Parts: sequence; structure tokens; C-alpha cells
Amino acid sequence: MIAPGQSGECRVRINIDGVLRSVVYGYPCSLNVDPVEKKPLFHFLPGTKILSLATVGCNLHCRNCQNWEISQANPEDSQAFAYAPERLVELTRYSQCPSLAYTYTDPIIFYEYTYDTAKLAKSKGIRNVLVTAGYINAEPWKRLLRYIDAANIDLKGITDDFYRRVCSATLKPVQDALVLAKAAGVLVEVTNLIIPTLNDKPEEIRQLVRWVKANLGGETPLHFSRFFPRYKMRHLPSTSAETLDMAHEIAISEGMKYVYIGNIRSEAGQNTYCPACGTLLIERSQYTILKNHLKEGRCPDCSNQIYGIWTRSGGS
Amino acid sequence: MTRRKFIRKLIEVGAALVVGAGWLTKKVVPRKFVWAAGLKKYPGSLKPLSDIHKQGKWSG
Repeated sequence: MIAPGQSGECRVRINIDGVLRSVVYGYPCSLNVDPVEKKPLFHFLPGTKILSLATVGCNLHCRNCQNWEISQANPEDSQAFAYAPERLVELTRYSQCPSLAYTYTDPIIFYEYTYDTAKLAKSKGIRNVLVTAGYINAEPWKRLLRYIDAANIDLKGITDDFYRRVCSATLKPVQDALVLAKAAGVLVEVTNLIIPTLNDKPEEIRQLVRWVKANLGGETPLHFSRFFPRYKMRHLPSTSAETLDMAHEIAISEGMKYVYIGNIRSEAGQNTYCPACGTLLIERSQYTILKNHLKEGRCPDCSNQIYGIWTRSGGS
Repeated sequence: MTRRKFIRKLIEVGAALVVGAGWLTKKVVPRKFVWAAGLKKYPGSLKPLSDIHKQGKWSG
């Protein structure tokens, strides 16, 4: 319960005279046109730009947060743009972006703003993308998913202990959110940030991979991301290339079809290969698409259908 | 009081109790989903839109 005059964990929802108010509705602190690969989304309209926004605040308090300057900021100490959903959708069209991303902090804390904007954007033919930790109850989540086309959802670890110690959260709601998103027909990609000593043991990674495969399917793109010492975890080293390669190998050996390595230069870990015949389908360098050999979402050699949303007009 | 009036009174009291219990339950049990209304004024400061085509500095 949020007492009168107080805000919730996220700092942006306040009880004012018995009415819950979202103080960041219509006030993004960040608005940028990014490559969609930066989210990261590798199976969603590759090579396109995406208007990306965030407000301050977060319902998690990850000790390793890369964006803590905005996620852990108080609204009264921050600067924001005044952009109601209508203006935001107009800006997306003006920027010639086919999609809008609710990202950087967590769209769950600016839920109402995300919901209204996504609904309006969808009606105008603009696609919606969530980049989230997925720490949300089932009812509002299902309601929001109606308007969402793709999501990159963090699975930060595979133990409840990790979520409690590092993120001040719990694992189960995140797992439920992942399963619900996939069941709702949203294109789901999963990111796991590997932090040295905290979630980098091979058996833990294998357990995570097995959970993803069993509950979301082997076709779900899985991104292992490199940790950099930030916020309250400056004492830990960056994740080594060897650890990321090891995670990549484990995931492939467990039968995951699309496994990627992020936040580090890696040739094999950035490209998409056909899981049926091994043909190189999409060649990437950082956030740039060097070559895209896909033909209407299929492998040009064996015609295998590749999981994803590949064209602006169609589905996978 | 006739028997008919007594039964009617009994039904009225019963119905009032059911409605009251429902209202109380709704008040006491935390709602699963609360829609937060927006505010007219941002509590921080506002800034003009800069070059949005510059790639975002934040992760994600």
C-alpha cells in the first residue's frame, strides 16, 4: 500500500489524496532514434530505426544498473520533455520510424503512458516494442500485450536468490511474464546479462537455457550480454569474452537456435545463421546490418522459416 | 406485523447485508490493477526537444 503523500518503489507513482497518480505520464526524460539492433532485437525489422523513449524511475533496483542515472532518479530532480501520446505518435511518423520502443528504464513504471501510446500507435500502423525486466502482474501485463508486437525481456538470472540480492525483486513474476508474452503472440527475445561471480557459473547458465527452451521454445532468440562495472557494482570486473563464448556454446549445445553475444565485438555471436543448414542469414557489425540474405523470412538455401518479424507489412 | 411483511423485511435486510459485505470486500481486498491518472504539471523541470536522431546514450 502506498500511504497518502508517498510514492511507490518506482518513485513515480504517488498517492495524492487517495488517488494514484503517475507523475511521469507524458513526460519522457529520453527520446532518441536508435537502431532496432540496440534494444537488442535481432529478429524484428532488421536495419530499421526505432523511436525510443523512457521516463525516470524503475520498479527494480539492480545493483548493476547501466542506466541508474535515470532509473533511480526522482522525478523532481529530473528534466523531461512534454510529449503526450498523440504528439509522440506524430513524432514517430515524422521521424519515419516504423516502430516505437518503450525502453531504457522500464515501461512497466510508466505503464499508463505506454498503454495509451501503444494503443494509439497501433491504430496508426506503428509497431510497439517493450524492453523490460518483465516484473509485472499478469492482469495488467496481458492488457498491455494486446498492443505489443515485440519485446526484449531480461531474464537476469535463474535463481530467486539472485533476483532478491541483486535486483530487489523475485524470479517467478518474470518467468510468468515471459511465458505470457510468448503465449500472447508477441515476438520475444531474451537477454541475460552475465555478471562475473554472480550468475556466470556454467551450470547456472545451462539451467537458464533449459528453462528458456522448455518454456519459450528453442526458436527464442537469446542474447548473452557483457556486464560493465556500474552503479553499486564497480568492484566487479567486466565479463570476459571467454565467459560469453562459453554461454554461447552451452546454449547452442542445449538446442537453442539463435544465440547472440552483446556489448562486445564478436563475429559469430552477432550473426544469424539458419538452424537447419547453417547458412549465414544476417551479418551484423555492432548495430549495423552488413548483409541480409533472408528471403521473406526464409533461408535462401533451404527455405527454412526463420522466427521473427521481417517485413513492415507482415508477420513472421 | 403480518407474516408477509415480516418475510419482505427479512429479504430486504438479507439483501442489504449481501451488498454491504460485497462493498466491504471490495474496499478491504487490494485491487489487482489500479490505473494511475496523470498529473498536469511535471514535478521536475521541462526541457526542449533536442536532436532525437542522435543515438540514445542509455543502454537498451
